[in-house]
Amino acid sequence: MHKTRNLILTVISVILFALFLNKAPEILNGYWLRIFNLIAINAILALSLNLIYGITGMFSLGHAGFMAIGAYVSALLILPPAQKAAMWILEPIYPFMLNLNTPFIISLIIAGIAAAFFGMLVAIPVLRLGGDYLGIATLGFAEIIRIIITNMTRLTNGSLGLKGIPAYTDLYMSWGCFAVILLCTVCMLNSNFGNILRAVRDDEVAAKMMGVNIFKVKVIAFTLGCFGAGLGGALMGNLITTIDPKMFMITQTYNILMIIVVGGLGSVTGSIIGSFLITIMLEWLRFVENPITIGSFEIPGIPGMRMVIFSLLLIVVIIFRREGIMGTREFSWDIFFPKSKAKKSKPVQNYDHVLEVEHVKLKFGGLTAIEDLNFNIDAGQIIGLIGPNGAGKTSAFNVISGFYKPTEGRIKFLGKQIGGLSPDQVCKAGMSRTFQNIRLFGTETALQNVTVGSWVRQKNSWWMSLLPFIFTDVLREDSEMKTQAMNLLEQLGLSEYANEKASALPYGAQRRLEIARALGTRPKFLLLDEPAAGMNPNESHELMEFIKRLRDEFKLTILLIEHDMKVVMNVCDYIHVLDQGVHIAQGTPSEIRANKKVIEAYLGAGASSENSQEAKF
Amino acid sequence: MTLNIFVQHFVNALSLGSLYGLISIGYTMVYGILRLINFAHGDIFMLGAYFVFFATIVYKLNWILGVIIAIAATTICGLLVDRIAYRPLRQAPRISALISAIGVSFFIENFAVVVFTGMPRPVVQPKILMKPIILPNKVRLIPLGILVPVVAFILVAALLWLLYKTKPGLAMRAISFDIETTRMLGVDVNKIIALAFGLGSALAAVAGILWALRYPRVEPFMGMTPGIKAFIAAVFGGIGSIPGAMIGGIILGFVEIMSVAFFPNLSGYKDAFAFFLLIVILLFKPTGILGSKIEDKI
Repeated sequence: MHKTRNLILTVISVILFALFLNKAPEILNGYWLRIFNLIAINAILALSLNLIYGITGMFSLGHAGFMAIGAYVSALLILPPAQKAAMWILEPIYPFMLNLNTPFIISLIIAGIAAAFFGMLVAIPVLRLGGDYLGIATLGFAEIIRIIITNMTRLTNGSLGLKGIPAYTDLYMSWGCFAVILLCTVCMLNSNFGNILRAVRDDEVAAKMMGVNIFKVKVIAFTLGCFGAGLGGALMGNLITTIDPKMFMITQTYNILMIIVVGGLGSVTGSIIGSFLITIMLEWLRFVENPITIGSFEIPGIPGMRMVIFSLLLIVVIIFRREGIMGTREFSWDIFFPKSKAKKSKPVQNYDHVLEVEHVKLKFGGLTAIEDLNFNIDAGQIIGLIGPNGAGKTSAFNVISGFYKPTEGRIKFLGKQIGGLSPDQVCKAGMSRTFQNIRLFGTETALQNVTVGSWVRQKNSWWMSLLPFIFTDVLREDSEMKTQAMNLLEQLGLSEYANEKASALPYGAQRRLEIARALGTRPKFLLLDEPAAGMNPNESHELMEFIKRLRDEFKLTILLIEHDMKVVMNVCDYIHVLDQGVHIAQGTPSEIRANKKVIEAYLGAGASSENSQEAKF
Repeated sequence: MTLNIFVQHFVNALSLGSLYGLISIGYTMVYGILRLINFAHGDIFMLGAYFVFFATIVYKLNWILGVIIAIAATTICGLLVDRIAYRPLRQAPRISALISAIGVSFFIENFAVVVFTGMPRPVVQPKILMKPIILPNKVRLIPLGILVPVVAFILVAALLWLLYKTKPGLAMRAISFDIETTRMLGVDVNKIIALAFGLGSALAAVAGILWALRYPRVEPFMGMTPGIKAFIAAVFGGIGSIPGAMIGGIILGFVEIMSVAFFPNLSGYKDAFAFFLLIVILLFKPTGILGSKIEDKI
């Protein structure tokens, strides 16, 4: 209902804006026309950098380099041969470049693709790096691109740059390109692929464990972002009609960065608002650098003052309003209307299988974390893994779920060898886990956290989400995912939190949400790492019932690490005990309770003679 | 290549490398403690060069006094940057501090344009530093070329002494391991961080002064490229390690000077070498030569 309303409102505003653009050349003077073109171009650039940095969390400082590629490719494709022949004074242009000529639109697309191609080339080696290193490496690549352009005189006319580029960029072109990019971006971000991108930003390890191939997702996002950079650069070159290598210094990247920081990292709406604000401000600030005449007085302009004010503003924004104007929020017509509520539907499938751990050894350099671990787990069981701190329990989990490679030994899951597979592959095979220290995707809602879990079972490819009108399957599948995720939340008693940010949930609910997210991958086998941590006796009592219910309702096999002996003894069918990496005991809860080795491991040698300690279990 | 020319290149590379090393110590100390790339550090270096220019050429102070004043003034600027732009963001996500650092860098550069104007200004080199010494085999050496690495090595030795033999040094090393625990042990963390900024800025000032003497001119954007290259040197040597920063700087100096010396037609690509080196090292040994590994834990 309100979807139709919002659609109508959107269409109306788009038409109104289009009418305005249509009339703009008559109403506005050249100065303002230029600003309006720049706003659209900056918005394209901001959206693409936001995709890389704000949404996917890759700190890239290389945008200017990819803009340069786009600008040069487009300019070289549309300059008339005669003009090219006259412009290359230092060295002649390559003959094959001389006669190359395409229409403007084609040149824009090729510019985008060229930037995307180089972006992908850069991304594949560099995206192994995280955080600041990535920033510096991308900055380095941007500089290298600039230096190459300066030196490849026969192709680029070197430091002289290209002049007299046909001014094809007009309001239709710039805003048209912007509309296409915006539409694709919004569609993508609203699809489950968008959730995946945000999940990668919030917690890479957890995303990997939920079956996401992090590297691939990052390369895709980076490449798409570079396409936007190339397109924006091409449009800008055609607006200004002159380009040279100096134009694409790091300053250019800072401008775009400023736009997305002011607008709000990760918010599409923010990027657009930021583009309006920063573009207009940068133009308006030019007055401080021009002489001002008041009556007969003339105040001389101050060169550099514009950028002083600009950088001060950046510092002030980051210190006092780090989240920018929009934070990660988005504009929605709903803010003008009162809210309505969501609902539910049916259950999830069941399975029946086994895990075999054969002589698994895990070493870090000289340190042995796990020494010869050996056990089988039958379908439908709840198995406990206990041991004192540092016993290697979480290491065992990490080996089984694929975060570590076993140094020796084999792990068979459902009869298939999985030792050495990456976490996302293990997850695909049907295993999922939770974490000792909760690792939810904090900025996403509870519902989105669960749909990230279902990514691994999604059939449609990510690129279809760019064009949901053609690949309508994407929309159908996404809405199915959402319904299933809603069901899961319902079953775990979390439906009231569905649209709240995961980080805002109470502690107990966050623990259950981690389980819901794990269940979203539709596992046959679930690893729970200290589910009772931080719970009071009442809560842990509820948890026991809950774990049993999980097993029965979802037909799961569960392996859990737990320190709360009450929970372990009550819930588990069978228990394995680790001490300093050694598998010291196994048995039913009553056998373990009476096992001397276990008591010694927990309380030190000699303690087993004191019967009073048994009360602890 | 004659022996004379080779020695010239060698000394050149050594002194350029020592300058990179001196700058990169500031990066490595701050990164080791705060995990922050202090983008403004290159501009602090530029301020050092400008202050000595003003002290000695505009206000005609004698060189020794001018150098002392320039170092003091630069150090104060470095401390102010930390106090104003970074300290409020200690609890914020690291990326916020990084953006703030970019803002500060931008601000200092453009403020310098406003105050000092964008025109490059020539620096007068003291004659005593420029009179060539003739060695056997007609090898000529400029005293300045020797002075730079000597000063650099003395300063690094002093810094290492401070870091490993004094209490504030101990506190600084402790902070780089775990800032919260160190705070709990009663160390005024902000003071120690300020000390790191101060020391880094002082060294950058020395580098700036020597740089201004070597390429006798100053201009507002002179800190940009050496700054980024020095950071690369710090990564190369192993971020967080002071000897590593120095080694990284010297290697970078040799790569730049020698590659152009032996392959003159690559001179246009000179500035790209550092970045290329950076990307190679990040891919094959991201911890650098002397760095230690940081693991992601679950």
